[in-house]
Amino acid sequence: MIARALRLAERWYSIPLLLLVWQAAVVSGLVESRLLPSLGRVWVALVSDTADGVLPYHAAITLGRAGIGFALAALAGVPFAAAMARSTLVRNLFEPIFLFGYPVPKIALFPVFTYIFGIGSPSKIAFAFLECLYPVVVTAYLGFRAIPVSLLWSAQNMGTPRATVLRRVIFPAAMPAIFTGLRIALPISIVVIVLTEMIGDSKGLGYYLAVSGTRFEFANVYAAILVIGMCGFVLDRALLSLRRRIVHWERDEASVNF
Amino acid sequence: MKIPASVQHWIVPVVILVAWEALGRAALLPRYLPPPTQIAAALYEVAADGELLRAVATSLYRVAAGFLLGAGAGMLAGLGAGLAPGVRHFFDPLVSFLYVVPKIAFWPIFLLLFGLGHESKIAIIAFSCFFPVFIASRHAALAVQKLLVWTAHNMGAPRATMFFRVFVPAAAPQLFAGARIGLAHCFVILFAAELMGSQGGLGPLISEGEDAARFDLMFAGIVTFAALGFLGDRILMAVRRVVLRGQIIGTVEQFVR
Repeated sequence: MIARALRLAERWYSIPLLLLVWQAAVVSGLVESRLLPSLGRVWVALVSDTADGVLPYHAAITLGRAGIGFALAALAGVPFAAAMARSTLVRNLFEPIFLFGYPVPKIALFPVFTYIFGIGSPSKIAFAFLECLYPVVVTAYLGFRAIPVSLLWSAQNMGTPRATVLRRVIFPAAMPAIFTGLRIALPISIVVIVLTEMIGDSKGLGYYLAVSGTRFEFANVYAAILVIGMCGFVLDRALLSLRRRIVHWERDEASVNF
Repeated sequence: MKIPASVQHWIVPVVILVAWEALGRAALLPRYLPPPTQIAAALYEVAADGELLRAVATSLYRVAAGFLLGAGAGMLAGLGAGLAPGVRHFFDPLVSFLYVVPKIAFWPIFLLLFGLGHESKIAIIAFSCFFPVFIASRHAALAVQKLLVWTAHNMGAPRATMFFRVFVPAAAPQLFAGARIGLAHCFVILFAAELMGSQGGLGPLISEGEDAARFDLMFAGIVTFAALGFLGDRILMAVRRVVLRGQIIGTVEQFVR
Protein backbone atom coordinates (compact mmCIF):
# COMPACT_ATOMS: atom_id res chain seq x y z
CA MET A 1 0.00 0.00 0.00
CA ILE A 2 2.67 2.47 1.06
CA ALA A 3 5.01 1.13 -1.61
CA ARG A 4 2.31 1.69 -4.22
CA ALA A 5 1.67 5.21 -3.03
CA LEU A 6 5.40 5.88 -3.20
CA ARG A 7 5.60 4.55 -6.74
CA LEU A 8 2.64 6.69 -7.73
CA ALA A 9 4.27 9.73 -6.16
CA GLU A 10 7.53 8.98 -7.93
CA ARG A 11 5.78 8.79 -11.29
CA TRP A 12 3.48 11.76 -10.99
CA TYR A 13 5.30 14.18 -8.74
CA SER A 14 6.13 16.62 -11.51
CA ILE A 15 2.60 17.92 -12.03
CA PRO A 16 1.97 18.85 -8.37
CA LEU A 17 5.55 20.14 -8.18
CA LEU A 18 5.02 22.41 -11.17
CA LEU A 19 1.70 23.63 -9.80
CA LEU A 20 3.39 24.36 -6.49
CA VAL A 21 6.14 26.38 -8.23
CA TRP A 22 3.44 28.19 -10.20
CA GLN A 23 1.50 29.08 -7.09
CA ALA A 24 4.65 30.11 -5.22
CA ALA A 25 5.72 32.34 -8.10
CA VAL A 26 2.35 34.08 -8.14
CA VAL A 27 1.99 34.47 -4.39
CA SER A 28 5.53 35.79 -3.95
CA GLY A 29 4.88 38.35 -6.68
CA LEU A 30 7.83 37.09 -8.72
CA VAL A 31 5.69 36.93 -11.86
CA GLU A 32 3.10 39.49 -12.77
CA SER A 33 -0.21 37.99 -11.63
CA ARG A 34 -1.99 39.25 -14.73
CA LEU A 35 0.19 37.02 -16.89
CA LEU A 36 0.24 34.05 -14.58
CA PRO A 37 -2.99 34.06 -12.59
CA SER A 38 -3.06 32.06 -9.38
CA LEU A 39 -4.36 28.51 -9.55
CA GLY A 40 -7.39 29.58 -7.57
CA ARG A 41 -8.37 32.09 -10.23
CA VAL A 42 -7.90 29.58 -13.02
CA TRP A 43 -10.10 27.16 -11.09
CA VAL A 44 -12.75 29.85 -10.55
CA ALA A 45 -12.69 30.75 -14.25
CA LEU A 46 -12.96 27.09 -15.19
CA VAL A 47 -15.84 26.37 -12.82
CA SER A 48 -17.84 29.51 -13.48
CA ASP A 49 -17.56 29.30 -17.27
CA THR A 50 -18.40 25.60 -17.12
CA ALA A 51 -21.38 26.22 -14.85
CA ASP A 52 -22.92 28.92 -17.04
CA GLY A 53 -22.43 26.77 -20.12
CA VAL A 54 -19.92 28.94 -22.00
CA LEU A 55 -17.06 26.45 -22.04
CA PRO A 56 -19.27 23.40 -22.76
CA TYR A 57 -20.86 25.33 -25.63
CA HIS A 58 -17.55 26.21 -27.27
CA ALA A 59 -16.09 22.78 -26.50
CA ALA A 60 -19.06 21.07 -28.14
CA ILE A 61 -18.58 23.15 -31.28
CA THR A 62 -14.85 22.45 -31.45
CA LEU A 63 -15.28 18.74 -30.77
CA GLY A 64 -18.10 18.46 -33.29
CA ARG A 65 -16.04 20.06 -36.04
CA ALA A 66 -12.94 18.02 -35.19
CA GLY A 67 -15.00 14.84 -35.00
CA ILE A 68 -16.66 15.37 -38.37
CA GLY A 69 -13.38 16.22 -40.11
CA PHE A 70 -11.64 13.25 -38.51
CA ALA A 71 -14.48 10.82 -39.30
CA LEU A 72 -14.66 11.95 -42.93
CA ALA A 73 -10.88 11.54 -43.29
CA ALA A 74 -11.05 8.05 -41.77
CA LEU A 75 -14.02 6.98 -43.90
CA ALA A 76 -12.49 8.29 -47.12
CA GLY A 77 -8.84 7.65 -46.35
CA VAL A 78 -8.82 3.97 -45.40
CA PRO A 79 -10.67 2.68 -48.52
CA PHE A 80 -8.56 5.00 -50.64
CA ALA A 81 -5.37 3.63 -49.08
CA ALA A 82 -6.62 0.11 -49.78
CA ALA A 83 -7.26 1.04 -53.42
CA MET A 84 -3.78 2.56 -53.66
CA ALA A 85 -2.22 -0.58 -52.22
CA ARG A 86 -4.17 -2.99 -54.45
CA SER A 87 -4.22 -1.18 -57.80
CA THR A 88 -1.09 -0.13 -59.65
CA LEU A 89 -2.96 2.53 -61.61
CA VAL A 90 -4.40 4.25 -58.52
CA ARG A 91 -1.01 3.99 -56.85
CA ASN A 92 0.86 5.54 -59.75
CA LEU A 93 -1.69 8.33 -60.04
CA PHE A 94 -1.85 9.34 -56.39
CA GLU A 95 1.28 8.13 -54.62
CA PRO A 96 3.32 11.24 -55.53
CA ILE A 97 0.54 13.51 -54.27
CA PHE A 98 0.55 11.83 -50.89
CA LEU A 99 4.26 11.23 -50.46
CA PHE A 100 5.42 14.60 -51.78
CA GLY A 101 2.46 16.49 -50.35
CA TYR A 102 3.02 15.09 -46.86
CA PRO A 103 5.75 17.55 -45.77
CA VAL A 104 4.06 20.54 -47.42
CA PRO A 105 2.56 22.74 -44.68
CA LYS A 106 -1.07 22.58 -45.74
CA ILE A 107 -1.99 25.32 -43.28
CA ALA A 108 -0.82 27.76 -45.97
CA LEU A 109 -3.92 26.83 -47.96
CA PHE A 110 -6.29 27.78 -45.16
CA PRO A 111 -6.95 31.33 -46.46
CA VAL A 112 -8.05 29.77 -49.76
CA PHE A 113 -10.31 27.37 -47.88
CA THR A 114 -12.08 30.24 -46.19
CA TYR A 115 -12.83 31.74 -49.60
CA ILE A 116 -14.10 28.49 -51.06
CA PHE A 117 -16.07 27.18 -48.08
CA GLY A 118 -16.89 30.33 -46.15
CA ILE A 119 -15.57 31.46 -42.80
CA GLY A 120 -17.69 29.20 -40.53
CA SER A 121 -17.70 25.47 -39.87
CA PRO A 122 -17.40 24.13 -43.45
CA SER A 123 -13.95 25.59 -44.15
CA LYS A 124 -12.66 24.33 -40.81
CA ILE A 125 -14.10 20.84 -41.27
CA ALA A 126 -12.75 20.69 -44.82
CA PHE A 127 -9.32 21.74 -43.60
CA ALA A 128 -9.32 19.23 -40.73
CA PHE A 129 -10.32 16.60 -43.28
CA LEU A 130 -7.37 17.49 -45.50
CA GLU A 131 -4.89 17.53 -42.62
CA CYS A 132 -6.12 14.21 -41.21
CA LEU A 133 -6.30 12.56 -44.62
CA TYR A 134 -2.53 12.53 -45.07
CA PRO A 135 -1.50 10.54 -41.99
CA VAL A 136 -4.52 8.23 -42.37
CA VAL A 137 -3.84 7.44 -46.02
CA VAL A 138 -0.05 7.18 -45.82
CA THR A 139 0.01 5.01 -42.68
CA ALA A 140 -2.83 2.75 -43.84
CA TYR A 141 -1.28 2.49 -47.29
CA LEU A 142 2.03 1.29 -45.88
CA GLY A 143 0.06 -1.10 -43.67
CA PHE A 144 -1.86 -2.55 -46.61
CA ARG A 145 1.35 -2.97 -48.57
CA ALA A 146 3.13 -4.70 -45.70
CA ILE A 147 0.63 -7.57 -45.51
CA PRO A 148 2.59 -10.83 -45.77
CA VAL A 149 1.91 -12.40 -49.16
CA SER A 150 1.80 -15.83 -47.55
CA LEU A 151 -1.45 -14.87 -45.80
CA LEU A 152 -3.07 -13.99 -49.12
CA TRP A 153 -1.75 -17.10 -50.80
CA SER A 154 -3.03 -19.34 -48.02
CA ALA A 155 -6.49 -17.79 -48.20
CA GLN A 156 -6.61 -18.02 -51.99
CA ASN A 157 -5.34 -21.57 -51.90
CA MET A 158 -8.25 -22.57 -49.73
CA GLY A 159 -10.64 -21.13 -52.29
CA THR A 160 -11.71 -18.03 -50.34
CA PRO A 161 -13.78 -15.62 -52.41
CA ARG A 162 -12.22 -12.19 -53.04
CA ALA A 163 -14.69 -10.31 -50.87
CA THR A 164 -13.99 -12.62 -47.96
CA VAL A 165 -10.24 -12.25 -48.41
CA LEU A 166 -10.68 -8.50 -48.21
CA ARG A 167 -12.89 -8.66 -45.15
CA ARG A 168 -11.24 -11.49 -43.23
CA VAL A 169 -7.57 -11.25 -44.26
CA ILE A 170 -6.58 -7.90 -45.73
CA PHE A 171 -8.44 -5.56 -43.40
CA PRO A 172 -7.56 -7.38 -40.17
CA ALA A 173 -3.91 -7.59 -41.22
CA ALA A 174 -3.78 -3.87 -41.93
CA MET A 175 -5.85 -2.90 -38.88
CA PRO A 176 -2.91 -2.10 -36.55
CA ALA A 177 -1.45 0.28 -39.14
CA ILE A 178 -4.87 1.82 -39.75
CA PHE A 179 -5.22 2.55 -36.04
CA THR A 180 -1.72 4.00 -35.91
CA GLY A 181 -2.73 6.44 -38.62
CA LEU A 182 -5.99 7.28 -36.87
CA ARG A 183 -4.14 7.91 -33.64
CA ILE A 184 -1.81 10.35 -35.39
CA ALA A 185 -4.76 12.06 -37.07
CA LEU A 186 -6.98 12.47 -34.00
CA PRO A 187 -4.93 15.12 -32.16
CA ILE A 188 -4.23 16.78 -35.52
CA SER A 189 -7.97 17.27 -36.02
CA ILE A 190 -8.30 19.04 -32.66
CA VAL A 191 -5.14 21.12 -33.19
CA VAL A 192 -6.26 22.21 -36.62
CA ILE A 193 -9.76 23.16 -35.50
CA VAL A 194 -8.52 25.17 -32.50
CA LEU A 195 -5.90 26.85 -34.65
CA THR A 196 -8.28 27.88 -37.41
CA GLU A 197 -10.80 29.04 -34.82
CA MET A 198 -8.11 31.26 -33.36
CA ILE A 199 -7.33 32.74 -36.78
CA GLY A 200 -10.92 33.70 -37.39
CA ASP A 201 -14.29 32.62 -36.01
CA SER A 202 -16.97 33.66 -33.57
CA LYS A 203 -17.33 30.39 -31.67
CA GLY A 204 -15.39 27.35 -30.57
CA LEU A 205 -12.61 26.91 -28.01
CA GLY A 206 -10.05 28.56 -30.29
CA TYR A 207 -12.18 31.68 -30.48
CA TYR A 208 -12.73 31.62 -26.70
CA LEU A 209 -8.98 31.37 -26.19
CA ALA A 210 -8.08 34.17 -28.59
CA VAL A 211 -10.72 36.53 -27.21
CA SER A 212 -9.73 35.85 -23.60
CA GLY A 213 -6.12 36.53 -24.60
CA THR A 214 -6.89 39.88 -26.18
CA ARG A 215 -8.92 40.85 -23.10
CA PHE A 216 -5.96 39.88 -20.89
CA GLU A 217 -8.17 37.35 -19.08
CA PHE A 218 -5.40 34.81 -18.76
CA ALA A 219 -7.22 32.74 -16.15
CA ASN A 220 -9.72 31.94 -18.91
CA VAL A 221 -6.91 31.15 -21.36
CA TYR A 222 -5.51 28.55 -18.97
CA ALA A 223 -9.01 27.21 -18.31
CA ALA A 224 -9.50 26.73 -22.05
CA ILE A 225 -6.12 25.02 -22.37
CA LEU A 226 -7.18 22.64 -19.60
CA VAL A 227 -10.45 21.85 -21.36
CA ILE A 228 -8.70 21.23 -24.68
CA GLY A 229 -6.16 19.00 -22.97
CA MET A 230 -8.86 16.97 -21.28
CA CYS A 231 -10.83 16.59 -24.52
CA GLY A 232 -7.73 15.38 -26.34
CA PHE A 233 -6.81 13.01 -23.53
CA VAL A 234 -10.29 11.46 -23.35
CA LEU A 235 -10.56 11.05 -27.11
CA ASP A 236 -7.12 9.46 -27.34
CA ARG A 237 -7.98 7.01 -24.55
CA ALA A 238 -11.29 6.22 -26.30
CA LEU A 239 -9.48 5.49 -29.55
CA LEU A 240 -6.96 3.29 -27.72
CA SER A 241 -9.68 1.25 -26.05
CA LEU A 242 -11.45 0.89 -29.39
CA ARG A 243 -8.16 -0.32 -30.83
CA ARG A 244 -7.77 -2.85 -28.04
CA ARG A 245 -11.26 -4.18 -28.74
CA ILE A 246 -10.84 -4.42 -32.52
CA VAL A 247 -7.18 -5.42 -32.72
CA HIS A 248 -7.57 -7.72 -29.72
CA TRP A 249 -4.93 -10.17 -30.97
CA GLU A 250 -2.13 -7.63 -30.77
CA ARG A 251 -1.22 -6.59 -27.25
CA ASP A 252 2.07 -4.95 -28.11
CA GLU A 253 1.68 -1.19 -28.18
CA ALA A 254 5.29 -0.35 -28.87
CA SER A 255 4.52 0.19 -32.52
CA VAL A 256 1.77 2.72 -31.92
CA ASN A 257 3.42 5.00 -29.46
CA PHE A 258 2.31 8.24 -31.01
CA MET B 1 -1.54 0.84 -74.48
CA LYS B 2 0.66 0.90 -71.43
CA ILE B 3 1.58 4.25 -69.93
CA PRO B 4 4.87 4.08 -68.00
CA ALA B 5 4.64 4.67 -64.24
CA SER B 6 6.86 7.75 -64.38
CA VAL B 7 4.34 9.39 -66.72
CA GLN B 8 1.35 8.29 -64.65
CA HIS B 9 2.88 10.03 -61.62
CA TRP B 10 2.47 13.36 -63.39
CA ILE B 11 -1.07 12.91 -64.71
CA VAL B 12 -3.05 14.19 -61.71
CA PRO B 13 -0.98 17.33 -60.95
CA VAL B 14 -0.75 18.29 -64.62
CA VAL B 15 -4.47 17.76 -65.22
CA ILE B 16 -5.30 19.90 -62.19
CA LEU B 17 -2.96 22.72 -63.25
CA VAL B 18 -4.15 22.69 -66.88
CA ALA B 19 -7.83 22.60 -65.87
CA TRP B 20 -7.23 25.43 -63.37
CA GLU B 21 -5.48 27.52 -66.00
CA ALA B 22 -8.12 26.83 -68.66
CA LEU B 23 -11.07 27.53 -66.34
CA GLY B 24 -9.34 30.63 -65.03
CA ARG B 25 -8.70 31.96 -68.54
CA ALA B 26 -12.33 31.30 -69.43
CA ALA B 27 -13.33 33.36 -66.36
CA LEU B 28 -15.23 30.38 -64.96
CA LEU B 29 -13.42 30.44 -61.61
CA PRO B 30 -14.17 32.90 -58.80
CA ARG B 31 -11.79 35.82 -58.41
CA TYR B 32 -10.03 34.30 -55.43
CA LEU B 33 -8.64 31.50 -57.61
CA PRO B 34 -6.35 33.25 -60.12
CA PRO B 35 -4.89 30.97 -62.82
CA PRO B 36 -1.40 29.53 -62.19
CA THR B 37 0.31 31.75 -64.79
CA GLN B 38 -1.02 34.85 -63.04
CA ILE B 39 0.30 33.51 -59.72
CA ALA B 40 3.67 32.91 -61.33
CA ALA B 41 3.65 36.51 -62.62
CA ALA B 42 2.83 37.81 -59.14
CA LEU B 43 5.56 35.63 -57.69
CA TYR B 44 8.02 37.19 -60.12
CA GLU B 45 6.73 40.67 -59.24
CA VAL B 46 7.33 40.33 -55.48
CA ALA B 47 10.56 38.44 -56.03
CA ALA B 48 11.91 41.16 -58.30
CA ASP B 49 11.42 44.04 -55.87
CA GLY B 50 13.00 42.15 -53.01
CA GLU B 51 9.88 42.08 -50.85
CA LEU B 52 9.60 38.31 -51.09
CA LEU B 53 13.22 37.77 -50.19
CA ARG B 54 12.91 39.90 -47.05
CA ALA B 55 9.75 38.06 -45.99
CA VAL B 56 11.33 34.67 -46.65
CA ALA B 57 14.46 35.61 -44.72
CA THR B 58 12.38 36.74 -41.73
CA SER B 59 10.22 33.62 -41.70
CA LEU B 60 13.19 31.31 -42.25
CA TYR B 61 15.13 32.89 -39.41
CA ARG B 62 12.20 32.34 -37.05
CA VAL B 63 11.60 28.77 -38.06
CA ALA B 64 15.31 27.85 -38.03
CA ALA B 65 15.98 29.38 -34.61
CA GLY B 66 12.80 27.88 -33.13
CA PHE B 67 13.50 24.49 -34.62
CA LEU B 68 17.11 24.34 -33.45
CA LEU B 69 16.19 25.41 -29.92
CA GLY B 70 13.13 23.18 -29.63
CA ALA B 71 14.60 20.11 -31.30
CA GLY B 72 17.87 20.45 -29.39
CA ALA B 73 16.08 20.72 -26.05
CA GLY B 74 13.71 17.91 -27.02
CA MET B 75 16.55 15.57 -27.94
CA LEU B 76 18.53 16.32 -24.79
CA ALA B 77 15.52 15.91 -22.51
CA GLY B 78 14.30 12.88 -24.45
CA LEU B 79 17.61 11.05 -24.35
CA GLY B 80 17.95 11.99 -20.70
CA ALA B 81 14.48 10.65 -20.01
CA GLY B 82 15.33 7.44 -21.80
CA LEU B 83 18.52 6.94 -19.82
CA ALA B 84 17.50 8.11 -16.34
CA PRO B 85 14.20 7.04 -14.72
CA GLY B 86 14.24 10.18 -12.57
CA VAL B 87 14.20 12.44 -15.62
CA ARG B 88 11.63 10.21 -17.27
CA HIS B 89 9.27 10.43 -14.33
CA PHE B 90 9.60 14.19 -14.31
CA PHE B 91 8.71 14.71 -17.98
CA ASP B 92 6.24 11.89 -18.68
CA PRO B 93 3.14 13.25 -16.91
CA LEU B 94 3.73 16.77 -18.22
CA VAL B 95 4.25 15.64 -21.77
CA SER B 96 1.34 13.22 -21.82
CA PHE B 97 -0.97 16.03 -20.77
CA LEU B 98 0.51 18.80 -22.91
CA TYR B 99 0.99 16.65 -26.00
CA VAL B 100 -2.69 16.72 -26.89
CA VAL B 101 -3.00 20.47 -26.29
CA PRO B 102 -2.42 22.47 -29.44
CA LYS B 103 0.65 24.48 -28.48
CA ILE B 104 -0.71 27.47 -30.37
CA ALA B 105 -3.22 27.74 -27.50
CA PHE B 106 -0.38 29.30 -25.50
CA TRP B 107 0.00 32.00 -28.14
CA PRO B 108 -1.75 34.79 -26.20
CA ILE B 109 0.69 34.20 -23.34
CA PHE B 110 3.76 34.11 -25.59
CA LEU B 111 2.55 37.22 -27.40
CA LEU B 112 2.26 39.16 -24.16
CA LEU B 113 5.56 37.86 -22.84
CA PHE B 114 7.69 38.41 -25.96
CA GLY B 115 5.85 40.96 -28.11
CA LEU B 116 5.17 41.09 -31.83
CA GLY B 117 8.71 40.60 -33.11
CA HIS B 118 10.92 37.59 -33.63
CA GLU B 119 11.10 36.41 -30.03
CA SER B 120 7.47 35.40 -29.56
CA LYS B 121 7.50 33.31 -32.73
CA ILE B 122 10.82 31.66 -31.99
CA ALA B 123 9.66 30.85 -28.46
CA ILE B 124 6.35 29.30 -29.44
CA ILE B 125 7.93 27.40 -32.35
CA ALA B 126 10.58 25.98 -30.03
CA PHE B 127 7.92 25.15 -27.44
CA SER B 128 5.73 23.22 -29.85
CA CYS B 129 8.69 21.53 -31.54
CA PHE B 130 9.94 20.22 -28.20
CA PHE B 131 7.12 17.73 -27.65
CA PRO B 132 7.24 15.47 -30.72
CA VAL B 133 11.06 15.49 -30.60
CA PHE B 134 11.04 14.65 -26.90
CA ILE B 135 8.64 11.73 -27.36
CA ALA B 136 10.57 10.26 -30.26
CA SER B 137 13.93 10.67 -28.51
CA ARG B 138 12.64 9.14 -25.30
CA HIS B 139 11.36 6.07 -27.15
CA ALA B 140 14.55 5.93 -29.17
CA ALA B 141 16.74 5.85 -26.08
CA LEU B 142 14.55 3.23 -24.43
CA ALA B 143 14.53 1.09 -27.56
CA VAL B 144 18.32 0.87 -27.86
CA GLN B 145 19.18 -2.82 -27.83
CA LYS B 146 20.44 -3.97 -24.47
CA LEU B 147 22.90 -6.25 -26.23
CA LEU B 148 24.74 -3.26 -27.71
CA VAL B 149 24.93 -1.58 -24.32
CA TRP B 150 26.11 -4.71 -22.55
CA THR B 151 28.71 -5.42 -25.20
CA ALA B 152 30.18 -1.92 -24.97
CA HIS B 153 30.04 -2.13 -21.18
CA ASN B 154 31.79 -5.44 -21.18
CA MET B 155 34.60 -4.03 -23.23
CA GLY B 156 35.05 -1.30 -20.65
CA ALA B 157 33.76 1.67 -22.63
CA PRO B 158 33.72 4.85 -20.51
CA ARG B 159 30.37 6.62 -20.01
CA ALA B 160 30.97 9.36 -22.57
CA THR B 161 31.96 6.84 -25.21
CA MET B 162 28.86 4.79 -24.38
CA PHE B 163 26.69 7.84 -24.94
CA PHE B 164 28.24 9.16 -28.12
CA ARG B 165 29.32 5.92 -29.77
CA VAL B 166 26.52 3.57 -28.74
CA PHE B 167 23.37 5.39 -27.62
CA VAL B 168 23.27 8.28 -30.05
CA PRO B 169 24.05 6.27 -33.20
CA ALA B 170 21.60 3.53 -32.20
CA ALA B 171 18.89 6.08 -31.52
CA ALA B 172 19.70 8.27 -34.52
CA PRO B 173 17.00 7.00 -36.94
CA GLN B 174 14.27 7.72 -34.41
CA LEU B 175 15.85 11.04 -33.46
CA PHE B 176 15.51 12.06 -37.09
CA ALA B 177 11.94 10.79 -37.23
CA GLY B 178 11.12 13.01 -34.26
CA ALA B 179 12.97 15.99 -35.70
CA ARG B 180 11.00 15.59 -38.92
CA ILE B 181 7.63 15.69 -37.13
CA GLY B 182 8.92 18.61 -35.09
CA LEU B 183 9.92 20.53 -38.20
CA ALA B 184 6.45 20.05 -39.69
CA HIS B 185 4.96 21.45 -36.46
CA CYS B 186 7.33 24.42 -36.69
CA PHE B 187 5.99 25.52 -40.05
CA VAL B 188 2.35 25.16 -39.00
CA ILE B 189 2.92 27.20 -35.84
CA LEU B 190 4.95 29.80 -37.74
CA PHE B 191 2.15 30.32 -40.22
CA ALA B 192 -0.56 30.60 -37.58
CA ALA B 193 1.53 32.90 -35.40
CA GLU B 194 2.44 35.15 -38.32
CA LEU B 195 -1.19 35.40 -39.39
CA MET B 196 -2.36 36.28 -35.88
CA GLY B 197 0.15 38.97 -35.06
CA SER B 198 3.46 39.72 -36.64
CA GLN B 199 5.81 42.25 -38.12
CA GLY B 200 7.45 40.98 -41.26
CA GLY B 201 7.44 37.48 -42.64
CA LEU B 202 5.33 35.59 -45.12
CA GLY B 203 2.13 35.63 -43.06
CA PRO B 204 1.65 39.41 -43.36
CA LEU B 205 2.51 39.18 -47.08
CA ILE B 206 -0.38 36.75 -47.53
CA SER B 207 -2.87 38.74 -45.47
CA GLU B 208 -1.86 41.99 -47.22
CA GLY B 209 -2.60 40.34 -50.55
CA GLU B 210 -5.95 39.28 -49.16
CA ASP B 211 -6.79 42.74 -47.82
CA ALA B 212 -5.90 44.41 -51.10
CA ALA B 213 -7.94 41.77 -53.00
CA ARG B 214 -4.73 40.89 -54.86
CA PHE B 215 -5.37 37.17 -54.75
CA ASP B 216 -2.44 36.46 -57.04
CA LEU B 217 -0.16 38.00 -54.38
CA MET B 218 -1.87 35.94 -51.69
CA PHE B 219 -1.21 32.79 -53.69
CA ALA B 220 2.38 33.84 -54.33
CA GLY B 221 2.87 33.94 -50.55
CA ILE B 222 1.08 30.63 -50.08
CA VAL B 223 3.14 28.90 -52.77
CA THR B 224 6.36 30.27 -51.30
CA PHE B 225 5.40 29.13 -47.83
CA ALA B 226 4.47 25.63 -49.02
CA ALA B 227 7.76 25.45 -50.94
CA LEU B 228 9.71 26.49 -47.82
CA GLY B 229 8.09 23.75 -45.77
CA PHE B 230 8.76 21.20 -48.46
CA LEU B 231 12.39 22.27 -48.91
CA GLY B 232 12.97 22.32 -45.16
CA ASP B 233 11.85 18.70 -44.99
CA ARG B 234 14.03 17.81 -47.98
CA ILE B 235 17.09 19.38 -46.38
CA LEU B 236 16.49 17.53 -43.13
CA MET B 237 16.10 14.29 -45.06
CA ALA B 238 19.29 14.96 -47.00
CA VAL B 239 21.19 15.49 -43.73
CA ARG B 240 19.60 12.31 -42.47
CA ARG B 241 20.72 10.32 -45.50
CA VAL B 242 24.29 11.48 -44.96
CA VAL B 243 24.27 10.78 -41.23
CA LEU B 244 22.50 7.44 -41.46
CA ARG B 245 24.15 6.20 -44.65
CA GLY B 246 23.98 2.53 -43.75
CA GLN B 247 20.82 2.41 -41.66
CA ILE B 248 18.09 3.34 -44.12
CA ILE B 249 18.20 0.39 -46.47
CA GLY B 250 15.31 -2.02 -46.18
CA THR B 251 13.10 0.01 -43.87
CA VAL B 252 9.62 1.43 -44.30
CA GLU B 253 11.18 4.88 -44.57
CA GLN B 254 12.50 3.98 -47.96
CA PHE B 255 8.93 4.75 -49.10
CA VAL B 256 8.05 7.75 -46.97
CA ARG B 257 10.75 10.18 -47.79
